[in-house]
Amino acid sequence: MKLLRSFFASLLAILLVFTNTLPAFAFCGFYVAKADTKLYNKASQVAIARSDDRTILTMANDYQGEAKDFAMVVPVPTVLSKEQVKVANPAIMERLDAFSAPRLVEYFDENPCDPPKLYDRFEMPQPVAPSAAPQAMKRARGSALGVEVEAQFNVGEYDIVILSAKESGGLETWLQESGYKIPNGARDLLKPYIRQKLKFFVAKVNLEKFETSGFTKLRPIQIAYESPRFMLPIRLGMINGQDAQDLIVYILSPKGRAEVANYRTVRIPSDVNIPEYVKGEFSNFYKSMFTTSYDRENRNVAFLEYAWNMGNCDPCSADPLNPDELKQAGVFWLEQPMGTNQPPQNSIWGRGRRPMPRSSNVFITRLHVRYTRDKFPEDLMFQDTNNQENFQGRYIMQHPYLNETNCDAGKQYRASLPKRFDQEAQTLSKLTGWKIEDIRKKLPSVNLADVSWYDRFRAYVR
Amino acid sequence: MTALQQVSFSETSTEEPIATAIIQTSLPWPLHMMLNMRSLAQPPRAGIDARLYQIGFLSLFLLLGIITRDWTLHPEIILTAIVTALTTQYLFLKFTPPPNTSQNLKVPLTKGDLGGSLLDNLPIDAFYSPMITALGMSILLRVEHWWIMALAVTIAISSKFLIQFNQKHIFNPGNFGIIIALLFSHGAWVSPGQWGESMWYVILFFICGGLVLRKVGRWDTTIAFLAFYLALEAGRNLYLGWTWDVWSHRMMSGSLIMFSFFMITDPRTIPNSKISRLIWTFTIALLTFVFRNYFFMNTAVFFALFLSAPLTLILDWVFKADRFDWFQPTAIKSV
Repeated sequence: MKLLRSFFASLLAILLVFTNTLPAFAFCGFYVAKADTKLYNKASQVAIARSDDRTILTMANDYQGEAKDFAMVVPVPTVLSKEQVKVANPAIMERLDAFSAPRLVEYFDENPCDPPKLYDRFEMPQPVAPSAAPQAMKRARGSALGVEVEAQFNVGEYDIVILSAKESGGLETWLQESGYKIPNGARDLLKPYIRQKLKFFVAKVNLEKFETSGFTKLRPIQIAYESPRFMLPIRLGMINGQDAQDLIVYILSPKGRAEVANYRTVRIPSDVNIPEYVKGEFSNFYKSMFTTSYDRENRNVAFLEYAWNMGNCDPCSADPLNPDELKQAGVFWLEQPMGTNQPPQNSIWGRGRRPMPRSSNVFITRLHVRYTRDKFPEDLMFQDTNNQENFQGRYIMQHPYLNETNCDAGKQYRASLPKRFDQEAQTLSKLTGWKIEDIRKKLPSVNLADVSWYDRFRAYVR
Repeated sequence: MTALQQVSFSETSTEEPIATAIIQTSLPWPLHMMLNMRSLAQPPRAGIDARLYQIGFLSLFLLLGIITRDWTLHPEIILTAIVTALTTQYLFLKFTPPPNTSQNLKVPLTKGDLGGSLLDNLPIDAFYSPMITALGMSILLRVEHWWIMALAVTIAISSKFLIQFNQKHIFNPGNFGIIIALLFSHGAWVSPGQWGESMWYVILFFICGGLVLRKVGRWDTTIAFLAFYLALEAGRNLYLGWTWDVWSHRMMSGSLIMFSFFMITDPRTIPNSKISRLIWTFTIALLTFVFRNYFFMNTAVFFALFLSAPLTLILDWVFKADRFDWFQPTAIKSV
């Protein structure tokens, strides 16, 4: 029955998709204000395209403050040159989000008195709003603080400095002297990264360039490097994030599904039937369901929201990314056939040959991590696996046929509805923690006046 | 994760009995019981076989993992692992030519012991060990296709019979199968985060693992490994300046504890003497530490155990001691 339902849902269904509208996602670095502005990074999205040790990391954030106050510090495994850093098209994150977002699927019951007929309609997610914006910053300087400026360059609206440091106090002082406002407690957290021989990627907004760029929001920064480390440093981001922070990670791999190696990866509840009124409040539903699942799992797991080969989708919440978009998202191995992990012959950015319009060698994993300092002491480590099994967060809404029916089948159908509605209500209540009485009030009423008591009874016990 | 069942027999020219079983005094598994009972008329074992406990516990973990830990594990893969392991074991016991050494003790066998129907000459406990291997590999190894599991398990069980030195198998069969699958197939992986960091699981593994280890007298291996590894990680934590919850998070990993209790402790593949075991576990802890922190390998423990396996031979040669026997774990004098 479940299979049949899935089959119908994917084949005949009318599809509605909402991009995830959670308040959004914390960043793997911390923001450093140049003024006394209180800054909180609430949310961030990171795309990691990785094959073997080659990685292209795209970091997007929902920074709301003044561009001049924006700065970020991210530990990176290697020194990055100007060629390894670029500004990504902000639309690409929206595309990844739309393609992988948990989805609500709806389909309609037929008139039970009519022979079946098919529907096929899709509703696409909201269009992508381009964004970006820059601002300027000043020069950095190396000094006797044990801080070395490994590279310094300008990319798009950002001024970027790559630092290596011998000692966290020196780095903190250097950053302060260079006009960055360092959150309290940064020194202690910088030390482990320095000792692990990580470099520091420091970006500020070049105001002049930002103002002339025409963008209104900061664009994502994309960096490329080669390192066996497959991790995201979330600890730094917890200095100025007070509450739980949400991080969405899109991992693109030629092999298959990715997972977190040092925390559990748990599938978000999926493939459940929920009442039709949820259509109007799907965002609320998803937020509540996520929070309930997060609490149930003791708040220390990563949730898998989507795992799929990017060559297709079923049902599609958005068109699969075309090769150009995949390249913008960092995929640099498009030229290779599926299953090979050989590094491409051309540069890491994939310059040179244009990729074939084939995307079947890209597998996307969407992980949603809500982290707090107490439950996520360690940075996130990932691993890609050969698991090609698809998974999606998918919620099913089956619209009942509530018009007048006089045939026997119609009566039996109507008699079966109350039980179905109640099951859907219970599912909803269990997933979201919403009160069952409140849900029941919103369920459609069914006219059972012309249905015999034994039909009702039969439907109930069936 | 499993133990070797070693049986040796050779035909003689006599009519009845037609064969003579040669039982190694130190490795007399799995026919040891049967033949000893026959020849000495007294069972050498007391209580329930530790491996039965292990089978019970591993089945429990598998069930708990599937129910509470959201594993993407399919029943047909588990079934494949079990069937393949038992079949491979049977075929090897049935058709491998027995080794013949001067250390063996001759016991007459009757016709029925060698020929006859399928299982009539193999006691049920010959299949404990492959069962443990199959369950262990089901818990640890994830595969994309069932045949990868079948292959990995076949290799694991075969390694017991084929890769031997001085009639002691060198590699922990489960570990060997996992390593081969990871290295040579494109459809196998392990999920080190699969157990999470729940205190309850750590306690469960401690209790269950402890029960088995107490029976086989190999507590020292697990304790030494954990102590060495904890110390190495603590040193690193101190050096890096992480808060201590980073360290405890790493140490509370269910996978690490499970590995410590149920994989490195296989009494048949670890060194025989206590001092050897300490050196050996330190090597594994050190390799795990290095692989994990400097090579960023999520499979560090498996490779550490794999690479340390040959060390057992050297240690056994340097530090002579009794070999482990499932039936007399408290020690028999070596020959």
